[in-house]
Amino acid sequence: MTASDLRQRVRDRSVVIFGLVVPLALMFVFNLTIGSTDDLALEPITVSASVPAGDQLAATLVSALAQVDAFAITVDEVPADEARSQVRSGKAQLAVVVPDGFGEAVQRGGPAVVDVTEGEGSGIETQIALSVMQGVLDHLSASAVVVNAGLQSGVAPDQLGALAQQAGAATPTVTLTEGKASTEQLSTSGALVAGQAGLFLLFTVGFGVLGLVAEREQGTMARLRSMPMRPGLIVAAKGLVSYILGVVATTVLLTVGARFFEVSFGSPVAVAALVLCAVAAATSLMFIIARVARTAEQASVAQSILALVLGVAGGAFFPLTATGLAGRLLDLNPIAAFTRGLGITSGGGGLMDIGVPVVIMLGFAVVGLAVSRLVPGRGREL
Amino acid sequence: MRAALAIAGVELRRFLRDRSNIFFVFIFPLLLVLVIGSQFGGGGGNGRVAIAGSDTGLRSAVTAALKDDGVTVTLTSADVVRELLSRGRSDVGVFISPDAATAFDAGDDVVLETVTGSQQGTAAVLQRVRTAVGGLLATKGQVTALAGAGVAEPEAGAALAAASASVTRPSLEVVDIDRIAQEFSGLGMFDLGAAGETLLFVFLASLAGSSTLIQTRRLGVMARTLAAPVSTRQAIAGQALGRLTIAVFQGAYIMLATAVLFRVSWGNLWLSLLVLATFSAVAAGAAMLIGSLIDNDGAAGGIGVGLGLVLAAMGGCMLPLELFPATLRTIAHITPHAWAYDAFAKIRRHDAGLVDILPQLGVLAAMAAVLLVVGTWTLRRSMARAI
Repeated sequence: MTASDLRQRVRDRSVVIFGLVVPLALMFVFNLTIGSTDDLALEPITVSASVPAGDQLAATLVSALAQVDAFAITVDEVPADEARSQVRSGKAQLAVVVPDGFGEAVQRGGPAVVDVTEGEGSGIETQIALSVMQGVLDHLSASAVVVNAGLQSGVAPDQLGALAQQAGAATPTVTLTEGKASTEQLSTSGALVAGQAGLFLLFTVGFGVLGLVAEREQGTMARLRSMPMRPGLIVAAKGLVSYILGVVATTVLLTVGARFFEVSFGSPVAVAALVLCAVAAATSLMFIIARVARTAEQASVAQSILALVLGVAGGAFFPLTATGLAGRLLDLNPIAAFTRGLGITSGGGGLMDIGVPVVIMLGFAVVGLAVSRLVPGRGREL
Repeated sequence: MRAALAIAGVELRRFLRDRSNIFFVFIFPLLLVLVIGSQFGGGGGNGRVAIAGSDTGLRSAVTAALKDDGVTVTLTSADVVRELLSRGRSDVGVFISPDAATAFDAGDDVVLETVTGSQQGTAAVLQRVRTAVGGLLATKGQVTALAGAGVAEPEAGAALAAASASVTRPSLEVVDIDRIAQEFSGLGMFDLGAAGETLLFVFLASLAGSSTLIQTRRLGVMARTLAAPVSTRQAIAGQALGRLTIAVFQGAYIMLATAVLFRVSWGNLWLSLLVLATFSAVAAGAAMLIGSLIDNDGAAGGIGVGLGLVLAAMGGCMLPLELFPATLRTIAHITPHAWAYDAFAKIRRHDAGLVDILPQLGVLAAMAAVLLVVGTWTLRRSMARAI
């Protein structure tokens, strides 16, 4: 029975269209558009800076940029108007114009505004440069405060410079040490491949179980039930069709996706376990639909709605991030669990590390099957 | 014309009567606009930091300094911080040890352990953390220095507080001339998603609706219509008008609902509706073509949904066109979506008038004309063949 059903499904081109062609086309397009933004390396940048001659504090502000060690910042000292035009022409990513009298204004505690222009394609690197300069300004401001306080408390004017230096030296340091995080994240391309495979899995598995509804409508179900076999066998056969189609389609999608978009999903054994669990969860969902839907059309609509909602919530189109209760709810979604599991395996995790996603998916499958047995059927007996 | 309008009216009624459409036409688009808006719109631009450690003075100080800088801060346990980082739900984790908290209270040097996530942008957030904590103990040093100059501690504290109030902090005035930032500045939280979603669903609803055209042919509705005093031309015009009505209806509904519910601004409404109508004509032509070339409504539905999603992704409805690499942006303009997206962008962000969007409207009209002519021809041919 399973074999004949499988033959029918393969002949009916919708399985191929929905299970393979559409998701692959989507993966390809997404990868073209979104995958191209996935570049983590910090690039060197050029900063055009205009510093008033002889202004010690202004020089400090700019020279701090050259000390950033995560990536190279080249500081190009030019006149003010040239600094901005270099950014406009794309020669520099950032223009810093320190106004005349900056140092004096800072020491007095008067207003001092540094003009910064961010250029085309400014990214993380310019963010870092801005933050570094902000740190320098904070420090200069602290010195101005202590000098000012010293003046008010009657410290001799010739000692004020030393006072600021002593304050700096006496300030306890707060240093950051960097630890390593285990990463359980797929690259952008990997997440797209996994998400699309998960989303369309929910369409593919429908081709087996939802056949029950169609058979009921066409009247072939009654004929099948008149055969000398247990009715449970018919349902089991449909379930098996769903399962086989799901496993094959998902395996093909992951394999092709990994090959085409240079994604590594890690240990094949662990990935296989994830695929088997995900297909089980998806198939159980179809049993609920088959039980509740009256007509084949209703079933396919319910399936599309569930597939899209679970797919979007599982990050098939864009990564969803939520924390707290919303995050917990999102975690229970089998598609999200599947993507997360693949994230763990791609980060080098093995069978032992994917416990949580596997439990979520299997739990979903068990609950789904139980629900499908318990809800009152709206069609005739299955 | 009356006959054609009557047929179009019937098609729209059929579309609205199909209960499955209630979700896909009325609920799902708004749900997506909501989700995308809340994920990517506004807020939390300066990164997310998760802090682990018991409630100490140091933790409060770090939290306050980060929040001052516009960083989103989560206070939780060390295990949760590691999980958030590994799952990309936080950019930087800060672990405050009891030793660090004690050192902070005593005014000694403090060492904080940080861990950065592996996604983009975390390096910038780490630098923000560094800058924010850099000044935490400045007051401590100032008091020490003043004491060295002979000022007693309570007096020094008061003098520092007064000085802080009178000193204006030097600041950075940042002007962004980045094209993308300029494009998106002033857009509301849901604005960017709404235009793309509208185009995506107009096309998707039309293409998915091509299966009703196949049913119309299979059930002999077409033949019966022609048995009435209606010419082939009227019947086909009716079908085309029907598709167009459905597309415009779907688009106008999303525009109205997003404007009312999410305060999305559509710029000059008449121009936006004109863009929508022209784009809908393209969608209607494509639906007619699919509905008359394919005889199996299941396959047509699959191809419709697939094509609808792929074209939308190519045309900037899922990731904004402005973020595409240059070559890809050029390629994107084989889709009607990209032209309509550009027209909407001009109207909504640059107050463009009719003359400014004529190129986009012209291309869309040409696409619509070609598809409608070919669609009419294939529909005429399909009526003559058995199904």
